[in-house]
Amino acid sequence: MNYIQNLVLDNHDLTNAKLENILSVACPKNIDFADLYFQYINSESWQLEDGIVKSGSSNIDSGVGIRSVAGDKSGFAYSNNFNYENLIAAAQTSKCIVKSGQNREIKLGTIKDIRKLYDPVSPLDFRKDDIKVKFLKAIDKYIRDKDDRVEQVILSLVGVYDSILVLNTDGIKAFDDRPLVRFSVMVILKVGNRRERGSSGGGGRYSYDQIIDTNFAYDFADEAIRQADVNLQAEDGKAGSMTVVLGPGWPGVLLHEAIGHGLEGDFNRKKTSAFSDLVGKQVASTQCTIVDDGTISKKRGSLSVDDEGCETKCNTLIENGILKGYMQDKINAKLMNTNPTGNGRRENYACLPMPRMTNTFMLPGDFNPSEIIESVNDGIYAVNFSGGQVDITNGQFVFTASEAYLIENGKVTKPIKGMTLIGNGPEVLKKVSMVGNDLKLDDGVGTCGKDGQSVPVGVGQPTLKIDEITVGGTQV
Amino acid sequence: MNSNENNMHMYKDRIQDIYKELNKKYSHEFNLSISNGYTVTSRSSQVENIEYHEDMALNVSVYNDYKKGSASTNNLSLENILKTIKKAENISQNTQADNCQGLPESDFTEKDWDDLGIYYPTELKVEEVIEMTKDCEAEAFRTDKRISNSEGSSFSFSKNAHMILNTNGAYGTYRSTDYSLSCIALAEENKLMERDYWYSSSRDFNRLEKGASIGKKAADRVLSRLGAKTIKTRVCPVLFSPEMSASIVSNFLSAINGSAIYKKSSFLLDKINEKIFPDFVNIQEEPLLINGPATRPYDSEGVLTKSKDIISDGVLENYLLDTYASRKLKMDCTGNGVLTNVTMNSSKPLVSNMLSTLHDGVYITDMMGSGANTLTGDYSRGAFGYLVKNGEIQHPVTEITVASNLSQMFHNILALGDDIDLRNRIRTGSLLIDNITIGGTN
Repeated sequence: MNYIQNLVLDNHDLTNAKLENILSVACPKNIDFADLYFQYINSESWQLEDGIVKSGSSNIDSGVGIRSVAGDKSGFAYSNNFNYENLIAAAQTSKCIVKSGQNREIKLGTIKDIRKLYDPVSPLDFRKDDIKVKFLKAIDKYIRDKDDRVEQVILSLVGVYDSILVLNTDGIKAFDDRPLVRFSVMVILKVGNRRERGSSGGGGRYSYDQIIDTNFAYDFADEAIRQADVNLQAEDGKAGSMTVVLGPGWPGVLLHEAIGHGLEGDFNRKKTSAFSDLVGKQVASTQCTIVDDGTISKKRGSLSVDDEGCETKCNTLIENGILKGYMQDKINAKLMNTNPTGNGRRENYACLPMPRMTNTFMLPGDFNPSEIIESVNDGIYAVNFSGGQVDITNGQFVFTASEAYLIENGKVTKPIKGMTLIGNGPEVLKKVSMVGNDLKLDDGVGTCGKDGQSVPVGVGQPTLKIDEITVGGTQV
Repeated sequence: MNSNENNMHMYKDRIQDIYKELNKKYSHEFNLSISNGYTVTSRSSQVENIEYHEDMALNVSVYNDYKKGSASTNNLSLENILKTIKKAENISQNTQADNCQGLPESDFTEKDWDDLGIYYPTELKVEEVIEMTKDCEAEAFRTDKRISNSEGSSFSFSKNAHMILNTNGAYGTYRSTDYSLSCIALAEENKLMERDYWYSSSRDFNRLEKGASIGKKAADRVLSRLGAKTIKTRVCPVLFSPEMSASIVSNFLSAINGSAIYKKSSFLLDKINEKIFPDFVNIQEEPLLINGPATRPYDSEGVLTKSKDIISDGVLENYLLDTYASRKLKMDCTGNGVLTNVTMNSSKPLVSNMLSTLHDGVYITDMMGSGANTLTGDYSRGAFGYLVKNGEIQHPVTEITVASNLSQMFHNILALGDDIDLRNRIRTGSLLIDNITIGGTN
């Protein structure tokens, strides 16, 4: 169900005529474009620690964001109150970005029939709360029974149902109902005085049944124990420049940081990115083809429509090493004389939209993962990461491994402690010398931050080899 | 724009009116925040964005025989408040009993707080603010012709009010204002671009650094980054700028937070009364600093915040405990449902020329990534800085990593600088730390 229609528009008597009036106020003749973003977010979370489900919380956040755009200028205001008078007042604030002009008439189109990538089913309507509590207790017991070195288990189960309505002066009226669930597990194992952590989890745009009624959570529990066990044996790693093989799936955070952010339209319009003006140029090795695909059914980073009402797409960013294009929202696409790519996203109604990634991954290559490992004499095999960051202007990026091993004479040997890798985006991708045939997407836990706004995203890649990158161990 | 104070009193009355109807089986806590203000950004000598914000959030926590439930809403109609309470009560019927849960029993706030030195409302005209941001950016461009581009200059203002109420009798309100002005400048040389920024923030508009000075500092900082080189891997002393030092102190503070301790997920577990830092290091919490960025009279549970020694002569004196963590660890609550202002100090005189004290090593001014592990203390982050020889900066250094272990880093602190960063909730000057591994080329 869509909460906007029932709880917002109907309850506050916001008819099409009134919505058109609000848009007219936000968009006088000297403003190019205006939009309204209605949102009603219902979310809950349950936490287990120390063996008990200690707390639960339930949150409602709702409001309307109103934006008036003139060229590259944006005026923005929002209201938590859905009364017509409050919305008119917010529209009057928003249009102040330029000196006042005459009102114009706005006509809304009919509701856009949107291709649905997920079901409009709220995880919060899923059975009773005690089922979630029993589920978390069962996983906790499973972990503690499985390994007697367990010192701590922290589990969380989060469900969100985010209903939106985008209306704009182009006539678009698009509803979207976005379920999102996530299960996370963190295990601490202790041997002697040493404690190490393993973390895992997953989720997507569906309801709790896919977590609670399957083996999903048990697999993640096993994975967290395995990682913590590996880290208990990890030794200090070396510092310096070396060959690194990245495992498939989540290590795709490399692509997100090394090139993803640098290809967002706003930075390239302003020419503040290390990738500015490089369309058509070789920016990666010929083995690299990288896409941003917001259309994968039920994936965490997917959206049926973006937050400006544009359908998401599968956009090729890099094809055989050549830069094909940037990710765009409406404003930046218009200013760069191109089309929006369905990448206009915002954390919520209280923030301005901007170009953001959805699910960003590299397509598979020709090599068997084992061939790739065997080709390395002395290097590092990194399979799990805790996150990353980039400076889009000079292209420097980091990502931090939470599970890594030495490669010695073509074999994966000792585990080494987590460490940060640092490189230069446009340089590092040219050093990708082997791409595996084992593309894997991550399990659905990624969150991306930009300008203080967080949005759920996905990453992925096949196994790949980088000939040289700087690695931050402690040993010299 | 509505006045926060009027709203606050209206909501206080609204919540107190429903007190008598509350189910006595439960104890309740209400946390209410109201904030409004705006952000103005100018870029390329023109206003780019004007964003107004007006937020409110009510968080209700409910305890039901040692079982806890929480719910929040941003719609404060009577009907919604009642619904939110009901939701929290429902959740508390499903969570499990834990005899450490419950409202604080003593030491709580019972009044409206004023004169904290953090509330300085100023009426500014939008046109005035736009000019301020334009001037700030213009000064960056005026500094040098290698300043090629900018991400603009932003001014933010927000006026905040907070209230806590609980059914044990805690009651408190306080208000604050926040102003900040920042500039991000880009410089280009040999087709390579760099960015850097500078900002000023204050509770009081009149204490904000002038736009021209911020723009100039942003420009100087980015210019000093041009021509960065890689360096060879080494182990050497490292000087961390005040901003980077504050991030290291913040890793320390996370590791002594009560929740990390009772979850046994900290490398500083069971370290009370042990030496963590060298003898000369002292760290205090000062909750009521005038113009303090994190000044608060009471914490998130309504417990009065307290001035305290965290590190005294290098020894760990206190964990940071809220009511739950203190009961769990059978220690006294320290009023740390939030952490306020923290000051790092030295019993030796603070050093004014840290570069000559460093003599030979690396000066780090920027770090990236999440490589501080507070469970093990393992530390590995990406960094940007400068190579220093004989106390003089030689050239900027890029694409390096900084690695050690936090326990060792704390023990290896050699000196504290007098260049204290007053903008940060963690007040520290630069830190000189010995024996850090710098990863670079082979």
